[in-house]
Amino acid sequence: MASIAHAERPSGLPWLRRFTASEALTGYFLISPAVFLMAVLLAYPFVLAVWISLTDRVLGEPGKFVGLANFLKLLQDSLFRQTVWNSFVYTFSTVLLKMVLGVILALILNQQMPCRNLIRGALLLPWIVPTSLSVLTWLWMFDSLFSIVNYILLGLGVISRKVQWLGDPFWAMVSVIIVNTWRGLPFFAVSLLAGLMTIPKELYEAAETDGARAGRQFWHITLPLLQPVIAVVVLFSTIWTFADFQIVYILTHGGPINATQIFATMAYDVALVAGRIGEGSAISLFLFPALLVVIILLLRYLRRE
Amino acid sequence: MRQTKKPSTGPGTGRTVSRRAFLGVTASATAALSFGTFIRSGLGAAKVNVLTWSNTLPAMDDVLREQAKQYTKEKGVEISFEFINQTDLPAKTAAAVESGAGPDIITLWSDGPHLHDKALVDVNDLADGLGKDLKGWTNIAKDIAVVNKTWKAVPWGIIPIAITYRTDWAKEVGYTKFPDTYEEMLVLCRKMKEKGHYSGFALGRSIGDANQSHYPMLWAHGGAECREDGKTVAINSPGTAKAVDYVRQLFKEAEIEDVLSWDDSSNNRAFLAGELACTGNAASIYWAEQKNAPQLRAVTDHALWPKGPAGRFGYSTAISLGIFRFSKSQQESKEFIRWLLTPKQYSAWMGIGEGMMAGLLNYYEDDPVWKKDPKLEVIREIPKYVRMPGYPGPPTRYAAEAMVKYVIVNMFARASKGMSTPETIKQTESELREIYSKA
Repeated sequence: MASIAHAERPSGLPWLRRFTASEALTGYFLISPAVFLMAVLLAYPFVLAVWISLTDRVLGEPGKFVGLANFLKLLQDSLFRQTVWNSFVYTFSTVLLKMVLGVILALILNQQMPCRNLIRGALLLPWIVPTSLSVLTWLWMFDSLFSIVNYILLGLGVISRKVQWLGDPFWAMVSVIIVNTWRGLPFFAVSLLAGLMTIPKELYEAAETDGARAGRQFWHITLPLLQPVIAVVVLFSTIWTFADFQIVYILTHGGPINATQIFATMAYDVALVAGRIGEGSAISLFLFPALLVVIILLLRYLRRE
Repeated sequence: MRQTKKPSTGPGTGRTVSRRAFLGVTASATAALSFGTFIRSGLGAAKVNVLTWSNTLPAMDDVLREQAKQYTKEKGVEISFEFINQTDLPAKTAAAVESGAGPDIITLWSDGPHLHDKALVDVNDLADGLGKDLKGWTNIAKDIAVVNKTWKAVPWGIIPIAITYRTDWAKEVGYTKFPDTYEEMLVLCRKMKEKGHYSGFALGRSIGDANQSHYPMLWAHGGAECREDGKTVAINSPGTAKAVDYVRQLFKEAEIEDVLSWDDSSNNRAFLAGELACTGNAASIYWAEQKNAPQLRAVTDHALWPKGPAGRFGYSTAISLGIFRFSKSQQESKEFIRWLLTPKQYSAWMGIGEGMMAGLLNYYEDDPVWKKDPKLEVIREIPKYVRMPGYPGPPTRYAAEAMVKYVIVNMFARASKGMSTPETIKQTESELREIYSKA
């Protein structure tokens, strides 16, 4: 009642009347809390991280501006070069696996089957369970002495001696890739499933009438229409995987012999454990320009689509 | 509106209390209580917040909790302990240093006093006083906590790392005593492996065991990452080559392959499962056997790290108590640390740990805990041989960085996986040069 009465009686303040009359201004006013939050929680820490990466700051000391020295030094650091390589192998392998398996899973879940909704819900479990907890379980499964994976594989006769899942450089990378794929697959599958469900059935019916088989239908109808969804999930997953920390930190801590050291784990060790936060910030920001270009290109593509 | 003025009737009492009177009384009572709390917390009793690690032996933390209560009762200063996972300490410490807010007292890991010296209060009076009262500090205590001739923290103790081995399996191959040299240790471990009993020294990214096992092997063979100045890289030496050859041989001839993936708890689990003959560890295995594997306790013993051509060395994680400059209770914090390190309190804490912790004040070398069990006696000697990463130089930020990047451990791990000695040393030298170039 009060608001109605207020609306009926024009405000006595002319500036307020002008302000409320202008839609654009009201719009800015309404989004200002969100802008404020983004400025404080996202923009400020980001700008601060960029600034710190340009200094030789160590914990507890202000440090001085050194320009791009941290970045140039990193390029000469053999451990960092290995970290870059590991990060690319880790990210591209997992994103590729998640995409292929995600499409297959989405196609299966799009079929009629008993308990479909229950299965779709259960699929989200790896995504919902706190990563640190689920990765601890994987750590036990890959344990050098008590690995249940080895136990089963030995029992089935697939392997003749136990695999050093986390102790061998090659298998350690395979292990973190497996766990990341397991963790991220639901995101791909559910997003792609949502995309699949928006494809009109008529297109498939028309294709069938024209004699197109399942493979051709997938190639000429499903895949092209799923492309925008695939682009978005790949973009997000690439960014998340490049910035991943928990899985590698808990499973291998970057080892053995730096075989799984990636940006986030190396930045953590250098910045927080060794106290060189200038260099640590440079490690975590190293790929930012490249990722920015990828994001811009993908967003442009999406807008065009 | 009228209803609010109408007196309400208390259920069953027959007394009437108006809403206004009720609000008035409760508001006054709340104000009085809040003021009382404010007076007690802000103006009256001081408070000291301590951020520390969650000990591997929870019983040791229980002792601290009790002691905090006792101190509050006796001195009127409230002590609040916050126990967190050891691996979370660096991040929490970094956050406190950067933000200038956090606990009053912080538990610093090994090189912590050197890493955070500028954020810490000088504690010369406190450390000197304790030294004077309790037979002086061991040399390693000074290496850990004295930065530029100033005590920046008070060493709380070390987690002594000893050889932990199976006496029954050693006896099976003819050893009634653990060998005193690395060469003999290799022979023993090789013989035990021939009988199916593997040894294992962590070579993965375990910040404790892997570093604590392999720095001593490097030093004992005459190798070192840098010179006394703490700036010049000196890894490329015949001593390092000997150490690398030794570790490769030990890995191939006596160790379980799993060591490359081991974290700090892996060797404990393997030993307690009866799968391991010899390892480097704190007394936590022996301690856990009481409950989890009592049948193994009778056949488990400890030994000092063997001697190499350059002598006997050890590296055990040290913990120190530092007071932040931003603390408003600096004097109270100093008093509490002094109280905590005096014999009544310290012996009670160290005694519960049964070898899990060793004091760095000479007085505690004769603590009753070492006489409790002959198998713990050898642990008493460990502080004498302990050096910090960076030895023979001081434990600098660069030595800390080399350690957290596992530069030394990886040198040995690469050799164990087949890389030649000159090649792995060359790679290590290049990594160390990158780190020490900032010195």
